[in-house]
Amino acid sequence: MDEDNHLHRFGTPLEPLEKDEVPAKKPLAIEDQIVKDENGKRRFHGAFTGGFSAGFWNTVGSLEGWTPQNFKSSRGEKASKVEQRPEDFMDNEDLGEFGIAPQGIRTRDEFSKESEQEQRTGLRKRKPMQPQVAGPIPGVPVLEQLLRPVRDKVAVRILKSMGWKPGQGVGPRQTRKEKRQATARNKREQYLLDHYGDEGLPSSAKQQNREDAADDEDSEDEDDDEDITFAPDDYEPMFYTPKDNRFGMSYSGLSRAPVLSKSSTSATPMQHINLFGQLETATKQKPFSIRGQAFGVGAFEEEDEDIYAKDDMTRYDFSLADKQPQKKKAQYVQQRHVIDGFSEDKSNITHNKPFVIDLPRDFKPRNWLQRRSRFTPLDAERARKIAETDYKKAGLGRHDLNPEQRAQLLGESQVKKNPFKTASSVSTQEQQERSKSLLELISAKSSNFTKGGLITTAGEELPAATVAPVELSKELKESNTALQAQAASKTKNLGIYLIDSEKRDYLYNNFLIPASSQPSSGFKPFLADEAKQQRYEKFLAANLKDDKEITEFLAELQPVTLSLWDREMEKKEFMQASKIYRPLAGLMLDRFVSEATVQEGNAKQDVQPEEKLKIVMKRTKVMWKPSALLCKRYNIAEPFGGALPEVENALKGKAKMSIFDYLETSVNTKANFQTPTIIPKHIELPKQQQGQQQREQLTLSTSKPTPTAPVEEAEVKPPLEPANSTASKPIFVPKTPLEHAVEAARDKPISEKTDLFKSIFDDSDEDTNSTAVAQGEPQELQRDAKIKEMQAALGLPSATATSAAAVNLLRNNSPPRGIFAALFKPAEEQMDKSTEPAPPKFAPIAGNKLKIAYKSREERLKNDRELAMAEVPQVDLYGPKLPSQLKPTEVQAEASIDAKLQQLWQQHAPKKRKAEQWVERTLSSSEDSDEDSTESSSDDSDVKAKKSKSKKSSSKKSKKSKQKAKKKSKKSEKSKHKSKKKKSKH
Amino acid sequence: MPAFLNFNCSKTIDCKQGAVRAVRYNVDGSYCLSCGSDKKIKLWNPVSGLLLKTYGGHADEVTDVAGSCDSSYIVSSSLDKSIIYWDVATGAPVRRLRSHAGGVRCVCFNEDSSIAISGGRDNAIMCWDIRTRRLDPVQVMKDAKDCITTVLTNDHKIFASSLDGCVRHYDIRVGELTCDEVGQPITYLAQTKDEQCLLAGCQDNTLRLLDCESGGLLSEYKGHQSADYLIECGILADDAHLVSGSSDGDAYVWDLLEAKVLQRIRISDNGGVVHSLATHPKRQEMLFARRRDMYVFSTDLQIEEEQL
Repeated sequence: MDEDNHLHRFGTPLEPLEKDEVPAKKPLAIEDQIVKDENGKRRFHGAFTGGFSAGFWNTVGSLEGWTPQNFKSSRGEKASKVEQRPEDFMDNEDLGEFGIAPQGIRTRDEFSKESEQEQRTGLRKRKPMQPQVAGPIPGVPVLEQLLRPVRDKVAVRILKSMGWKPGQGVGPRQTRKEKRQATARNKREQYLLDHYGDEGLPSSAKQQNREDAADDEDSEDEDDDEDITFAPDDYEPMFYTPKDNRFGMSYSGLSRAPVLSKSSTSATPMQHINLFGQLETATKQKPFSIRGQAFGVGAFEEEDEDIYAKDDMTRYDFSLADKQPQKKKAQYVQQRHVIDGFSEDKSNITHNKPFVIDLPRDFKPRNWLQRRSRFTPLDAERARKIAETDYKKAGLGRHDLNPEQRAQLLGESQVKKNPFKTASSVSTQEQQERSKSLLELISAKSSNFTKGGLITTAGEELPAATVAPVELSKELKESNTALQAQAASKTKNLGIYLIDSEKRDYLYNNFLIPASSQPSSGFKPFLADEAKQQRYEKFLAANLKDDKEITEFLAELQPVTLSLWDREMEKKEFMQASKIYRPLAGLMLDRFVSEATVQEGNAKQDVQPEEKLKIVMKRTKVMWKPSALLCKRYNIAEPFGGALPEVENALKGKAKMSIFDYLETSVNTKANFQTPTIIPKHIELPKQQQGQQQREQLTLSTSKPTPTAPVEEAEVKPPLEPANSTASKPIFVPKTPLEHAVEAARDKPISEKTDLFKSIFDDSDEDTNSTAVAQGEPQELQRDAKIKEMQAALGLPSATATSAAAVNLLRNNSPPRGIFAALFKPAEEQMDKSTEPAPPKFAPIAGNKLKIAYKSREERLKNDRELAMAEVPQVDLYGPKLPSQLKPTEVQAEASIDAKLQQLWQQHAPKKRKAEQWVERTLSSSEDSDEDSTESSSDDSDVKAKKSKSKKSSSKKSKKSKQKAKKKSKKSEKSKHKSKKKKSKH
Repeated sequence: MPAFLNFNCSKTIDCKQGAVRAVRYNVDGSYCLSCGSDKKIKLWNPVSGLLLKTYGGHADEVTDVAGSCDSSYIVSSSLDKSIIYWDVATGAPVRRLRSHAGGVRCVCFNEDSSIAISGGRDNAIMCWDIRTRRLDPVQVMKDAKDCITTVLTNDHKIFASSLDGCVRHYDIRVGELTCDEVGQPITYLAQTKDEQCLLAGCQDNTLRLLDCESGGLLSEYKGHQSADYLIECGILADDAHLVSGSSDGDAYVWDLLEAKVLQRIRISDNGGVVHSLATHPKRQEMLFARRRDMYVFSTDLQIEEEQL
């Protein structure tokens, strides 16, 4: 323990070994070590285990296998042409130092030393040319192979430009004598070099060399011609390397370069033979012998000690010069980061002295190899220079001004005149008055371009009134004086006295001031007419808004001679002009507000709030039609049964959505100008009136079916009751005169049908009148009485009121309230008015009526048949059967009369009618329905009611049924007054 | 009438969705929704402040949102001119409805959530049949002369307030449009629970209580600042108190009858406009939106009851 204290420990102790553990004897053997590339892959394998490998098992695949390239859309890159380079297809290793395309600084092709072979043949590696498919001969064009542009190295080109020609030497031209001496000297040097090498070239020899030259000079002096000079001979100059060692002359020690280094192969023949280098024969005299290590050094091996080296005496130099002089070649080692053809400077002699290069002041570095198109824009400096020189071509100072400046000086802008203005100024007063409106508008506009504005130095036109005029003129004045002073100084030297101060002032007053100094003028649209312009200015100054005021104001100004029309025109012109020729600033002011004003406004608002405005609520109500679906979703019945007038739905007819729907403000639509009205036909009348109306309608319907507009369900229902009551009457329906006419006219040509139409028109009026007025009173009384009787017989509750409204128990009979009160009153009045005579507005609808009349008849006939059918007990028919004892006897009696009449009528009826008889049900009894229909019972009417109910799908049909019902009620009466009617009919 | 109890902040939620444009309760007040300027809608639990779901799909700021009566759908309006009908559970947009020509400002459901009503900057109110696949509106009402700020509905009426200073009642039952002109731009409209009155937040720093039946002006409430903001107002669940946001960062509670300020709720000390609010449908609870945050305010007593 004590010993431990005395010991000093350095470093970290090794882990104590376990007892059973046998320490690894050796570190990893060198042959077991594996060289890996930068990607961590093993590239070199043993000769028997694969040798050299690249990629993935020497394939281009990968562990995952070959996967096709994913589709990559290049749609976005269509525009940008991607140029592919060979490098895109190379691996990183290829671009590396030892790859096929090493990256790094290299000499350009033109500068690099080219091989002799190339030079001789002129063949040079060319960039692969694009094979031209266009030509007839495939491959590289022959002409291009034959004719080859001469391209020299840069150095050669430089020499050539200096007067050098191939085959000549480099240097100053020599006289014949000099040349001779030089050739002799060179020969000698070459000899010495061959014999002794450059190191061995003794200084004495050099000295001698010079002396010899002198001797030659002396000897061949006689035929010397100083004038003729020759280019020096081409010879390879010797380079003297300074001796920096203390070895003997021409002695070089043993090279320590390793076996693998290239230098060892060629530079020192006495070294080991490298397996990778070329075999070397020792000397020509000696027998061919291979030396060196047996198989060289393996890739994984380090160079061994020189075990096989024979250290024989030949390896030592014993003499200084007797050996074949060996020319020490420049050690050529491919070094890293050294351009091909160059070598690192080994010498320590460095010129540290930096030389300051005095560049010319206007020197601009430029890559002369880079070609420049003549279309590329000039750099600013050059352009300016060119522009300058262009102006200064003449060399006179006045050309220094550019055209704009000159124009300014000469006041050319003012000189410009326009033809319209002169025309108008020439014309007489009357002409002016006449053509004023048009001409002046034009002239005003055109003159504004020149008169109103100033053309500034910047070349843009400034309207005179846009900027504060005083400021502008001041500014202009300054700039102009500066310009003029400049011009004056330029021209002074030439002795031309162009502008003196007076003139300058003159110029000012004449050209510059008038346009800008009048603050009120601004634009002068009516300059052609002085008086008018003045009036206009006054008008502007007054700044009136109200039309009436303007008229009054102008009336004062305008001369008495002016006609009223002219005055009005002038007023309009002025107003137009004031709108159009507002200065730009004014226009802008309209649209933009400075922040200060906004803040000001805010401040004002803050002050204001004490003064409170009383909110007055206003309530307006208009009709609005909710869509059916909306009502449905809200679970609300549609107001007025959905009968509200449909609002012109912009979205419906047009395209689904258009921005133009919104462009027009909501008040501009046509619908906004239509006050919503309620169509009277939808209004349910109070009980009494309705009853009355019903009755009247019944009377009217005898001769003319009223072409009423669609009637809604609520109103359709009630007529069934009266139908019920009247249905028991006989079914025979005598033809109305109109029907007869229609029947008759069916086969006639159209030309003859005029009678028919005429009869229809006449009929509608006359017939109604005759029936309603002449027979109205007694008929109605009779009918009422009859209905009463019938109802009594049927046991119906309402004895007096037979109208639909009376029967409808659900109807709200209370007088209209709220909005209804307002809405319905006028309608009722209208109804009252329209009831008594047949409304004339229905009359012209002839065609319509014809159709209705005819159809109703047809319908009627059909119903007759159905009724007849109903008498036959059927399983198809259902519904409660009315008790048979309820059958009114009186009605039956009447019915029998009618039946007889019908029979009679049918005998006379045209045969054609048979053809159009048709029934919905396929029953055998239907054939003789007409004959069977002598009897009708309340059962029938019930069935019929049901039928009509089922047919109420369309309003038209329902209407028909209603009409039919009415007709039925009439039938009995008709039959009574049959004789009378027949007379009237025929 | 119960005595007024002061509101206290019970929760502050940083919505993390940019400026909060609107806050809304769902139908029973158990959840709340916030619309962000980051085009997203977030569903929260207002009690715990838990973020439940985020709904993204709008192309511009979301301006308003409404939950359906069964809380299974959401309809939202955005400045991208569309309204989106969302499925709450999946968070997927079920339908996207475009017909507005301008940004949509407000949206609401009818009572059974079969119709969505939206109003926009294009001055149009559109009713959408949301249950069907129909992509165009059932009805378009283009009566307003300026931007629609709020749409409300009850079982038979649609109310719309507009910046043209009018409140329009579309009575479906009668088929009538009643236009009450207030004269001041109306920034928000709230309806009392008894559906008798409307509370209109006007641009002139005033709330106005309007009578639905007669169209008369019942009362005015002042005190807050609306400046140039679209400040929302609300009626508390008991129909006795009104509340409005303010541009000075406070919220004001009025007594409905006496029209005097009962409480000035200081929401934050460092400014920000309290522009959106929502009142709980049942409890004395409110939501406020200010800048990026949502605040839940309630009366203490209520909270205690809840906890007990």
